[in-house]
Amino acid sequence: MTESAGGGGLASPRPWARLWAWLLAPRDIAALAAFRVALGLLITVSAARFLAYGWVGVLFAQPKFRFTYWGFGWVPAIPAAWLPALFVALGVLGVLLMVGLFYRVTVVLLFAVFAYVQLLDVTNYLNHYYLVSLLLALLCFVPAHRAFSVDAWWRPALRRDTLPAWCTLLLRFQVAVVYVFAGLAKLTSDWLVHAQPLNIWLAARTGLPWVGPLLEERWVAYAAAWGGMLFDSTIVLFLLWRRTRPFAYVVVLGFHAVTFALFPIGMFPFIMVTGALVFFDPSWPRALWARVRRLPWHGVAPPSGVAVEVPGWKGRVALGAAVFYALLQVLLPLRTHAYGGNVLWHEQGMRFSWRVMTREKNGSATFVVRDSVTGRQWHVPPGQYLTRLQEREMAVQPDLILQLAHRIARDFEATTHHPVEVRADVRVSLNGRLSEPLVDPTVDLARQEDGLGPKPWILPAPVSPPVHLRPTRAAQARGR
Amino acid sequence: MALTALLCAACSDNKPKPVDPPPTGGTDVRAELLSAAGACMLTTARDFLPKATALQAATVALRDAPDAATVAAARAAYHEAMDVWQVAEVMQVGPAAPRSNPGGGELRDNIYSFPLSNRCSVEEQLVSKGYESASFSSSLVTRRGFLALEYLLFYEGAETACGPNSPIVAQGTWAALSADERASRKRAYAAVVAADVHTRAQALVDAWVPEGGNFQKTLATAGPGNAVFPSTQVALNTLSDALFYVEREGKDQKLARPLALRDCASDTCPELLESQFAGRSKQNLRLNLVGFRRIVEGCGADYAGPGFDDVLVAAGAEAVATRLRQQVVEAEAALAAVEEADLKEALAQDKPSVQRVYDDFKGITDVLKTDFITTLDLEPPAGLEGDND
Repeated sequence: MTESAGGGGLASPRPWARLWAWLLAPRDIAALAAFRVALGLLITVSAARFLAYGWVGVLFAQPKFRFTYWGFGWVPAIPAAWLPALFVALGVLGVLLMVGLFYRVTVVLLFAVFAYVQLLDVTNYLNHYYLVSLLLALLCFVPAHRAFSVDAWWRPALRRDTLPAWCTLLLRFQVAVVYVFAGLAKLTSDWLVHAQPLNIWLAARTGLPWVGPLLEERWVAYAAAWGGMLFDSTIVLFLLWRRTRPFAYVVVLGFHAVTFALFPIGMFPFIMVTGALVFFDPSWPRALWARVRRLPWHGVAPPSGVAVEVPGWKGRVALGAAVFYALLQVLLPLRTHAYGGNVLWHEQGMRFSWRVMTREKNGSATFVVRDSVTGRQWHVPPGQYLTRLQEREMAVQPDLILQLAHRIARDFEATTHHPVEVRADVRVSLNGRLSEPLVDPTVDLARQEDGLGPKPWILPAPVSPPVHLRPTRAAQARGR
Repeated sequence: MALTALLCAACSDNKPKPVDPPPTGGTDVRAELLSAAGACMLTTARDFLPKATALQAATVALRDAPDAATVAAARAAYHEAMDVWQVAEVMQVGPAAPRSNPGGGELRDNIYSFPLSNRCSVEEQLVSKGYESASFSSSLVTRRGFLALEYLLFYEGAETACGPNSPIVAQGTWAALSADERASRKRAYAAVVAADVHTRAQALVDAWVPEGGNFQKTLATAGPGNAVFPSTQVALNTLSDALFYVEREGKDQKLARPLALRDCASDTCPELLESQFAGRSKQNLRLNLVGFRRIVEGCGADYAGPGFDDVLVAAGAEAVATRLRQQVVEAEAALAAVEEADLKEALAQDKPSVQRVYDDFKGITDVLKTDFITTLDLEPPAGLEGDND
């Protein structure tokens, strides 16, 4: 059953029809095509970085042990010799996305390969890789190749000047979720009252030219902390509002340029600067092009007299799926509240929640294995199984500690032919607090099951405030 | 943005606020540490050079006139040189460090390759007289350096560590050597190795001094424009990487393995102790802590002078500095509490005392890996520049 929702406007008084009219209203395809090009370029550059810097070997080939995501232990590892080919494929697929060639197949393959690479080892998890995976998943449903693409060039039947508004809305929603939750994640006393971990990070960058000496001043850390929180939590509003959008985007560029200059966050600023483009008018690339060519620009008139058909059950299923996706994206970052406590400490609900740059955390872990029959003990340093990079991540994330404990138990039981107990001696420092035990050292982790439920063997977070660093240059000047 | 503007407006009220004095351009305590650490490393290298010279002379004397006195003198020279080198072990920065490190010159592995050792390889050299080859100084590090020297000067047994597949066992060439011939070749081999150590010791000093490679200046001037250390933080990271010797080599190799906490099937594994023939495993650990303290606390008398603890204190992290110093003192006390002359006897007679040393070394590395690197925003060794968010 279908019904007319009016010519791209709000002709029908019925809310349901108005919703469809809003979602299906034709919008210039130009902005989405530009987004497709930019995302393809970023993926290609990312893949090239991995190959050029040798990260493929260090992150994927060297590890003898892989940490898997809960529920994804079945994902197989490919032979190490094929890994470079996988990243070459990512780079090539990025180029295909950019030029819009074999788009439908390309974007699905790109999502599959990109997500597969992320699933290979949890210790490689980064928020912006997760974001790219989500954007690619969304692009699987967005026909962003119907203009400005090789596909549209050689198959004229594909060509469209517009796409339904929901295509842009989905991407806007996704980028908005990142910013808003990144802002909400900073509503903590560590961030706002103590300016940590920014104080630690900035104080270590005093060697930078011009601004260096200022960076260890505490007020600078506070300004950066509050500014960062306000930026993250409000920028979407200003990007959505047409009158403030250009200024907001300048702020976006400035903010991410500063974070790129100060912190080793690789492609993250570029991805966010690209992502924020989805908030612009759908015709912005045409307007920009006209300005570059010094041609008059009067905007693109929306198609008139075109009745938007309210879709039948398929459309409703699609809408339902989109609503489910949106709910999931909102609930995932909030799930940590079901666990209680400090997520920065216990990490339950930390991943997929956009808690970007909210902690400086380091741990020291040793596994103590005890033969249940003979009573003999061994101390297993994680380095026996992990690369240094994996060890650094594992030592502060309880679920990864548990995974390694299970592997150690299996190995020792295979060699001793006795059941063994595995306990973990783990000390962790969070945002400069003196280190404290992270997990109960009396609990046999070999007998603990992994899962989504709360992990009672994680000890409570320290209650002391984080460290307050002083400016060392000023301290010297006062006669240390 | 409106909120930001509001915040900025709030910042600009006219109420006087107590503020820290602005930076005055005074010497950065971090830069001061780098300068002092470089000086300390040069001093240690300079201390080592005459010991290496004496060792070379003593091994030549032993080779040319072997008797009980020259044997004793060569062994004493070995101990004296090793006493300095074990302090330097914790200072593997720049010329001494692996080539993968900033400014790495790999001199350390050529002087002392622990834990890489291969007694069989040394014995094969004895049989083949490979030490007489012109290319010996570029042969495998396990055939050279202090580990080979320790075996050559201190081990008097007749058996070989080589397995039946080794040519010197399969072809009977080891067994064919008389005791006198074996001893003679050991003396000649030791003289060659000691000369090689001396050459490396000289190269180490040359790499640090102003009239040579001037690495001291390279370290002290870390920052923009410095090709090796483009920032102070990179240089501090290199220094802190060197401190992790107490974990990798100290806790995990020198203590955990002999204690049978890893890689050992028996109750104890004294054969995995660091010093197998000279009986100085305990002394080596003690000296490692001396080197550690010279970087952490200061290189002067009683560890005075700039150290990492001064950076921590200046930054307001006194508690971390105190905790770190306290752990080192406890480790030293645990070592001193081992009554036996060496860990070999201690493992046999009082294993818990060695376990306490391990526990206290772990205490140091716990602080290093948590409070220390967190507060100073350092990276643990082998950290990777990545897209960290």
